[in-house]
Order: sequence, then structure tokens, then C-alpha cells
Amino acid sequence: MLARLAENLFWAGRYVERAEDTARMVDVTYHTLLESPQGRVSQSWEQLLEVLHLQQLYGEQPIEPERAVEFLVIDRDNPGSIAACITRARENVRSVRELVSSELWESVNDLHLTLRSRDMRQELLDQPFQLLRWIRRDCMTIYGVASETMPRDDVWRFMALGRLLERAEMTCRLIDVRYGQLESIVNASPRGPAAGAETALGAGRTDFHHWTAVLKSASALEAYRRRYRSSMDPADVVEFLLLEPDLPRSVVFCLTGAMHQLEALSGGAPSPATRRLGRATSSLQYRDVTDLFDVGLHEFLDGVQDQVGDVAETVASEFFRHQPTGAMHAIAAG
Amino acid sequence: MGDLFSDYTLDGFFDEVFEATGVRPHYRGVVERLRYLSSADLERREVIRDGIFRSAGITFTVYGDDDGIERTFPMDLLPRLIPANEWDVIERGVVQRVTALNRFLEDLYAGEQAAVHDGVVPRWLVHTAEGFRREAFGIAVPHAARCLVSGVDLVRDHEGTYRVLEDNLRNPSGISYVLENRAAMTRVLPVAFAEQRVRPVDHYGPMLLRALRSVAPPSAGENPLAVVLTPGVYNSAYFEHAFLARQMGIQLVEGRDLVVDEHVVYMRTTKGLERVDVIYRRIDDDFLDPVVFRPDSALGVPGLLSAARAGNVTIANAVGNGVADDKAVYAFVPDMIRFYLGEEPILPNVQTYLLWDDDQRAAVLDRLGELVVKPVAESGGYGLLIGPHATDEEVEAFRGRITDDPRGYIAQEIVALSRHPTLIGDRMEGRHIDLRPFAISGEQVEVIPGGLTRVALKRGSLVVNSSQGGGSKDTWVLQADAPTTRSDVSATEREV
Repeated sequence: MLARLAENLFWAGRYVERAEDTARMVDVTYHTLLESPQGRVSQSWEQLLEVLHLQQLYGEQPIEPERAVEFLVIDRDNPGSIAACITRARENVRSVRELVSSELWESVNDLHLTLRSRDMRQELLDQPFQLLRWIRRDCMTIYGVASETMPRDDVWRFMALGRLLERAEMTCRLIDVRYGQLESIVNASPRGPAAGAETALGAGRTDFHHWTAVLKSASALEAYRRRYRSSMDPADVVEFLLLEPDLPRSVVFCLTGAMHQLEALSGGAPSPATRRLGRATSSLQYRDVTDLFDVGLHEFLDGVQDQVGDVAETVASEFFRHQPTGAMHAIAAG
Repeated sequence: MGDLFSDYTLDGFFDEVFEATGVRPHYRGVVERLRYLSSADLERREVIRDGIFRSAGITFTVYGDDDGIERTFPMDLLPRLIPANEWDVIERGVVQRVTALNRFLEDLYAGEQAAVHDGVVPRWLVHTAEGFRREAFGIAVPHAARCLVSGVDLVRDHEGTYRVLEDNLRNPSGISYVLENRAAMTRVLPVAFAEQRVRPVDHYGPMLLRALRSVAPPSAGENPLAVVLTPGVYNSAYFEHAFLARQMGIQLVEGRDLVVDEHVVYMRTTKGLERVDVIYRRIDDDFLDPVVFRPDSALGVPGLLSAARAGNVTIANAVGNGVADDKAVYAFVPDMIRFYLGEEPILPNVQTYLLWDDDQRAAVLDRLGELVVKPVAESGGYGLLIGPHATDEEVEAFRGRITDDPRGYIAQEIVALSRHPTLIGDRMEGRHIDLRPFAISGEQVEVIPGGLTRVALKRGSLVVNSSQGGGSKDTWVLQADAPTTRSDVSATEREV
């Protein structure tokens, strides 16, 4: 397959996933804030922008909820907004129309066109929940359609690989948003960080509602309940979302799935990308998470994201960027 | 129930379907089948047609629209028919013309330039043609197949004589419409189609691939790899590029998919670099190789031309063909045919005046309002003056331009293009048409039966280009001179 098309498939997978996960994160932030004290509102949006690495792009302007939601959902000047991700996913799928099923193309194109035709600014003001739920469902429809109509060849594998690596990163961010918001309570405590830490710990350990929202946004609440019954311990939630091998949005599930795709793509032989991914997966699988809150969950999650980023880079150089060995430079200079 | 043709008028034009005494014999079958269709019937067939085109994604992109709105190229329900004896003349004429053009171009770029030396075509004219590319000197093409795909635009004049209006030797487009129009017509009018014994067109893909492989350089070996090179999805003809790649079962690539190393062209795949032997490029010369041509081109492949010169890859169509479809050089094609083939041209040109010649220019300026003036390097129907349709200001503006740059324009007698009944609303009206047959040069020159019939949908308009609001017709080349007629169509038999 042409390297460029493989890369476009990889990114199509990533962009749809990014759109879906951004919808999940905006939703969880928005709805947990509905029941929070006023002062924390802008901080929470700031945290979300930070874990999505979109703070700089948002700029200096004050962080108001309406503006932040618009920025994350429909602002086309923000390449990470849901609308921009879907447009780019469509461009990528369009370039590989010859390779993917027409049903897949249609489902991506439909979402793109609907996003263009609806008055989303108004919908965000009136019914953000409806809109975000609809976006999530359409993104899942895209995967469902792909899964039911495409043969499991390299075309499928590059797309699945992009989606799984993106989801692994985004699940880390999803945990981080919530955790960051707890941390901000620590620092905002009127009695200082030490007292704040207690408050946060107290809040974290007992705030059933907030961790429920995180699980829900990862479609993991029912599965969590079946496993842990009524207990809602943050350490359990984090472990579940990071390490649960059977949960489709857990980081380990994504990395294991990515490994299957990579092995098939490299014909079973070990490659730089499989080695890197293997290291990332096993360091996570054998990690004891009980002390994560003490050593700094945020740093740990950053580390996992860096490792996943490295894997993506290695995939790019292994499959997408073959260079000739000879006199390229002489020609370019001539 | 109305008759689709009841108010039909000829208005003094040569009509493809009607002669003074009634329907021409080879059209009788089709006209009888269509004549009494109810508007509901027509609508049903239009729905079928539109569905076919939409689901096949047969569209062209309208530039300057960032939502990427894609439109369909409207195909008329009434096909254009060409009987065998007429087609025979067209086919022989096109083969003759393209053969001479191939010889001229090969001789100019990789031979002794005999036509120029002998004064058949003025040297200064060749060197001042916008499509002339000095950079192509010394690059030979196997079988002299420099115009691997060419589209020779034909019109019929008031007497019904086929004349060459222009040659398209660079990147002629439209063949995808020919194939898709046919696919749609066989489903929209299956019975009428079956009755007529129409020559097929669907072997175009294999024919093109065979020609591409036949021009591979000797270094390519037994199984040469050919690719289609496109500027990308934003090009208005992208659909056709993808379509052709699919028809031939070969890879559709963009410039960034190719890389030149040690004068060899490679394609970047997920499994490494793969050697490429023949490139059917749908990118203009200027954008092909930033080392040699426009350095700001991101569409091309650096080093491509040097690879071609080293004999490691064949570029089709060849670089520099534009010199021969310059509209002033066009006037010399009949002489090229005599010079290189020793034959008289089978298809005549349209009467053309060269404006650097003082006498011809003076005569033209005297009657500018009666003529057509065309810029020599434009295509797509842009920048024309059609004297009788122009305002006094427009005529005066062209007078100034011609005086300033006599090499930049040609003038032609107006051809009263033939007309063909075309469905406008729920009745037939006469509309001007042309014909672009497609010739493929490989080991020999072949013409696909038929070609693209373009229709100027605006009443009275003589400009048929799709960019100027044109439509198309499926073009049926008949196996026979005059097919059997059916004058006894009863109501129950009216399924067409």
C-alpha cells in the first residue's frame, strides 16, 4: 500500500477517536460542574484545555464556560475541536475512498455534513448533552460500520492502529482531567495546600458522584459496578481504566489491541515499533497503582502518553517515511 | 399525450437527427422509442440516471468552495448516434492526425527537426509557443507515442462536414464521462440500446494500460510498473484520475508518493520503495518537476525529468506536447500530415487566419465582428471573442489586443455547429454539440469508438465546455450504416 494512504488511514482513525473522546471529556466536565461551586468552573475548563494541550491556542482571553465549550466543540480555528477533527477525518477518508468501504465513507461524510448544516452554537447553549451524545454515537457508528464492512487487511489495520493509540492517550487524559480538577481543589483550599490535600483526598475518596461521571464518560460504569459492587475508590477507578484487560477503553486494552495490529502489519517479525509498544504495555501491566496518588498520578499519566507518542513516531518512520539511500541530496541541491 | 418533438425547429442549422424530409434513417429507431414517452416516464428515467451518477460519485469539484461541493456533469437522455460509414472517416482521420502529430513532436524533441528545417512549420513559431519545453530535448519516447492519450475536438459545419476545431495533446480529460455515460445509458434505455447494435467502449482501461506498458523504457524488464499521477483530491478532474487508476488496476499516486534516487523513480509504500517505470501523469508540465520547471510546485517530483532523460522512466503524455496544440501551430497540422505521411488530411481544419501576417491581419480586423478570435494558449473555452455575439466594446478590446500581440491570437470563420435535439424541461430543443474522440498511442494509434459529445445547454450558445455550463450525451457508434427502423411501435411496446 502507498505509505501516504496508510498514514491517512492511521490519522482517520485518530481523528474520529479524538472527536469522540473530546465529546466525552467536554460532557463530563460540563456536567460535573453543574453541581459545583461557581469559583471552580473556570479552573476546571482550564484543566481540560491543559490536558488536551490546547491552552496556548485558546489564548489570553478569560475562560468562560460558553466560550470554552464552543472552542472545544465547534471552533474551526482550533484544530483539536470536534468539528475540525471530523473535517480532517473526512479529508483523510476521502483520500482513501478507493480503499475503504463506501459505507464507511458515507458515515464519515454524513457526520461532517450534518455538523456543517446544524446550528451548533445554539444547540450547545440549549442542549449540550444532546449534542455531545449525538456526536459520540455517530463516531461509534463510524467504527461499527467500518467493523462490519471492511476486510481485516492492512487498510483496516492502519486505521485500527491509529484509533487504538489515540484512545490510549485520550483515556489517560480523561483520568487526568478529573484528577487535575481534584488537585485544583487542593491548591484553592483557603487553609493552604496541606489542608487542601486532605480535602481533596476526602473529596476524592468520597466523591462518588465525580468518579461515577468519569467512568460513565468512558462507558465503563456498569462494568466497574459488576467488578467492584458499590465501592467507589479512586484508586480502583484509575486501576480499572488503566489496566482492565477486557474494558474496551482501558489503556492496556488499547495497547494490547494495537500490538495485534502492529504484529500483523510487520508480518509477525519483531520491529522497532512492536518493541517499543511491548515495553510500554508491560511497564504498565506490571505497575502497582496503589501508590500512584502519592507519587503523582499526573506525571505518571504524562509518562504513559509520552510512551504512546513514541510508538506513533516509530510507526511513522517504519511504515510512512521510507527514504532512498542514494543521491537524493545531490538532486535536491541541483 | 404530447410528442416530445412536436414543436421542434431546425432554424437553418445542420441537425444531427432531422433532415428536411424527416428523421434521418439511422435515428428512426431511437426517436420512435422516445417520441411518445410521458413526462412521468421521462422523470422516472431521469431519477434512475441521477441515482447512477450520484452513487458512482461521478462529479467534478467546483473551485473556490471549501465545503467541497461536488456536482454532476449532466447527461442528456437522448444519445448521439454515428453510423458506421461516418465513424470510419472520423477514425481514419483521427489516427492520421495523431500519427503525424506524434511524428512531428518526436522529431522536434528527439530527432532532426525536419519539419522545422524544411520550413513546414516556422521555427520562430515553435519557439514562441507557450507549450514549447526546451527541457524536453533529448528525451525519446518508444514508438514515438508522445501523445499517449489525445482528444481531437471535432465539430460539424452547416453541410455536416466533420472539421477539427482543436487538438488536446497535453492532458485531455473526459474519458470517464464516456464510460460512465455508457454504463448509465444501458440502464436508462436498455431496449433502445440493444436494438441499435452499438460498438462497446468499456475496453478503454485495458487499452490504455497496454499502451502505457508498451512505452516502458527497455530497462523496465518484462513486467513494467505503471502508475497514474494526480495533483490530488482538490483537482477538478480527480474523479477521473481515480476512475482510470481503478479501470486499469494500477496505483493512483501523488507527487509526494514518488521519489527519485540516482535517476530512478520509486514509489513509497508501507513495505519500502518500489521502482516505477511508466507515469501516466495528469499534472501539467509546469508542475511536474520543481528542479526543472516551477520551483514552487509542491505537486511534482524533484528529479523526474532527469530520470526520464536517463531512460529510466517514461512520462506520458510526453513533456512539451503543448507546442503542437498551440492554436497557431494547429493551422500547420495539415502540412505536417502531408510532410510526414505523404497523405492528404482526411479531416479538414476550420478556416484559420494567422494574425502576424499583415494581409491576413488587415482582412481579419476589417470583419472582426463576423469571426471567432481565440488566444493561442488557452483551452476550456476561456478568453474567446465570438464576433456576432459580442458588444462593440468587446470587439474593440480584441482589436487592441490583436494589434499589440498578433502572435497571441488566431481568428477563425464561425462554424455554424451542428445541433442535436436535447431534452430541455419536458420537450426537445436543438442545441449545438461537438465531439471529442479519444485516441491512444502505443505500438499503434487506436481510437475508442465514439467519444465525448458535449452539448452547449444554453440556447444559441456555441461553447460546449463543462466549465462553461455544458452537458454531455452518450455517443453511440453503430455497427451498421443505417439500422433497421421501427415505425410500428404500439403503446404496449413502448418500453425503451
